[in-house]
Amino acid sequence: MSSVATVGIAEMGVVRGEDQLITYALGSCIGVCIYDKNAKIAGMVHIMLPTAPTDGSGKSVCRYADSGVPALVNKMESIGARRGLLTAKIAGGARMFNIPGDSVVGNIGDRNTDAVKKILSDLRIPIVGHDVGQDYARTMSFNACDGMVTIKAFSKGITTW
Amino acid sequence: MAIKSYEDLDSMQLDALREIGNIGAGNAATALSGTIGKPVNIDIPTVKILDINEAVEALGGAEKIVAGIMVKLEEGIHGAMMSIQTLDVINLMLDSLLGTKVDSYEELDEMHVSAVCEIANILMGSYVNAISDMTGMPVNISVPAISINMLGALVAVPMATYCYEADKIMIIEGKFSFDGMMHKHNLMLIPDVDSLKRVLTRLGVYNE
Repeated sequence: MSSVATVGIAEMGVVRGEDQLITYALGSCIGVCIYDKNAKIAGMVHIMLPTAPTDGSGKSVCRYADSGVPALVNKMESIGARRGLLTAKIAGGARMFNIPGDSVVGNIGDRNTDAVKKILSDLRIPIVGHDVGQDYARTMSFNACDGMVTIKAFSKGITTW
Repeated sequence: MAIKSYEDLDSMQLDALREIGNIGAGNAATALSGTIGKPVNIDIPTVKILDINEAVEALGGAEKIVAGIMVKLEEGIHGAMMSIQTLDVINLMLDSLLGTKVDSYEELDEMHVSAVCEIANILMGSYVNAISDMTGMPVNISVPAISINMLGALVAVPMATYCYEADKIMIIEGKFSFDGMMHKHNLMLIPDVDSLKRVLTRLGVYNE
């Protein structure tokens, strides 16, 4: 029996074999899916912000790209995933609100996308699929069996890649 | 105790914030009644401090489609406020203001959307005036921005912008009734932590 594990905002999850991961309503947040196709190990993290506070006061590691993505990779490696085989798929990073004369709120999605791309590049994990930007939310599910991602977006339908 | 985020608030400080909610709700009832030309009653709102994932569940689930109307708070208080409206509440407003209703969010045209924004602006302005009156701090609100999409995605935006290190968020759940029907209206109030400290200091429940 396969099962589906939910990854909340600023959380991560790892499954293997026939199981799936799902995270709901990625807006400016980014869902990062990492896959080891040999071991069929799938990991997902729901990132909210680019960088963790430097004073270490950020309690939630998975909230930030620069701490959440390495934490996910470590967890996957601890159960047998191999770094050199990992690939990534990312979705989200949208601009949900456009407040006139404001760039801080509007740019979170872009900043998250840039931060996730940078950390994946630092870790030498290639991005093999992405669906980022625009102005709508996405629900992302990730299948450990074949590494496929399915995106459901409000009034945009469903895509799998 | 030093406040770093909402989870550090004690019961006296929470009561002070609830009081802002009460006065804000009273102001909102008066303003709403004037706008739609009907008597409006508002119950004492419930003020909840929730973890972001709990907040999304409490508001109806991550994928629920809602209209989120967000404003930035500036001057004395920095942060954001968001009004979360479902289609039945939107229809009630449209019916009262324009004499029309819609069957789905997709049918909302430019005039409908601007009416929805205007109502949200009036409601949020009422709360902001309550904060301003109680604390003596000037507060300005920006032009509202609207997004009609999944609830989880909308709630995460002000949270990411103003609660950089905080895990909790404040939700003011108001219940108002007119024409004999009760409706829920949810507001998220998200001052940044420094502003929150200034508000609580002015209310006499915080000393750094």
